[in-house]
Amino acid sequence: MRYDDPELRELLAAEYLLGTMPWRARRRFEGLMEGDPTLALLVSEWAERFSAIDRATPPEEPPARVWRAIETRIAPHSVTAGPVTASIERLRAALRFWRGLAVAASAVAAALILYLVSVLAPIAPQPPRVIAVLADQNGEPSWIATAGPHTGEIAVAALHPLQGGGDRSFELWRIAGGTPHPLGLLQPLPDEPTVLTAKELPAPGDVLAVSLEPRGGSPTGLPTGPVVSQGKVIRAL
Amino acid sequence: MADTRQDFSAQLRELIGKVAQGDRQAFATLYDATAPQLFGVALRIIRRREVAEEVLQESFVAVWQRAADYALARGAPLTWLTTIVRNRAIDQLRRDGSRAVDRSVSEETLLGLAAGDAYRSDRGAELGALQRCLGELEAQPRRAVLLAYLYGLTHEELAAQLGAPMGTIKSWVRRSVERLKRCLEE
Repeated sequence: MRYDDPELRELLAAEYLLGTMPWRARRRFEGLMEGDPTLALLVSEWAERFSAIDRATPPEEPPARVWRAIETRIAPHSVTAGPVTASIERLRAALRFWRGLAVAASAVAAALILYLVSVLAPIAPQPPRVIAVLADQNGEPSWIATAGPHTGEIAVAALHPLQGGGDRSFELWRIAGGTPHPLGLLQPLPDEPTVLTAKELPAPGDVLAVSLEPRGGSPTGLPTGPVVSQGKVIRAL
Repeated sequence: MADTRQDFSAQLRELIGKVAQGDRQAFATLYDATAPQLFGVALRIIRRREVAEEVLQESFVAVWQRAADYALARGAPLTWLTTIVRNRAIDQLRRDGSRAVDRSVSEETLLGLAAGDAYRSDRGAELGALQRCLGELEAQPRRAVLLAYLYGLTHEELAAQLGAPMGTIKSWVRRSVERLKRCLEE
């Protein structure tokens, strides 16, 4: 194999990062990287290209035993424990800020994940085909419209429990040509989807929007309350 | 909030620099800041919690030992950390032997990803670029690349999962790699 061929190097670096290499090939490639730092650089470039997927993966708190095990392993090399230095305290405060940010997906990260779902869904027996994602003013996804459960239907469900505030209802609208058409009330819990049937189905290019209405919905047939969430219909049934 | 990811990266970079000098407090802070995200990645690839915990543990021990190497690496610090976890996770998969990739579990994981309510992310233009460039691939090659990245599947496992011969899978991966690189350079 000519390891100096740039296309081959690029492909090997990508395959190593992707993980498609079997065990022996991985070890062989790692050997190559030892003697060839630019190969390692190619790998880190591929890691950077795909890093969005890892950033969009939901984090999960590891159990305390993991940290305890790590501490035990590195103990012999430790700096003597002392008062927390000022620079560490500053860094901790800054990092607490990141972790304390309201935990909700940005619209872009959620869009990536939903895109992954829609791309890979045909492999699965009952694919959830995404019709629209409705996000609030901060870009945080609140509702998702998917094809199903039966042919010719669309289910709209909350992505997480939502508060309407007081005695108000969430109402769904289809906005086509600038005019809102009522599609019914939504339940603010993820396992209580509202199913739309043939007469009411939105089409690509329409906007789906949710407004906060008096209990039971708008009395006028048009939104009377604030629009709290909206999204474009991205595909046809 | 466009700078937030850069600020976070700068802070991680500073911490890793201190870890390279043997600063235990910096290491503990680095763990607090990044372990949940990295554990999420390990779980996505490994699926078995106890094994994912071991991978996370091994990875951070490696970070402690190799923090000085980061100065030589370009790219975001979180990507460097993630790659350490990813490589260990994939090696663990190889050690455990070929898995029968359970389609329903894959979908469950994806739906979990889609509906999960505990993300941490920054807004960034790059997220859109990967999605856009993936969109320019043909359907099956795109699936091959995504399944490989998400779950660390070998060519052989991809062939089983997608019902295509190995040669076709390799060709899909090669073409997708070439096209993604070109697209992302734009």
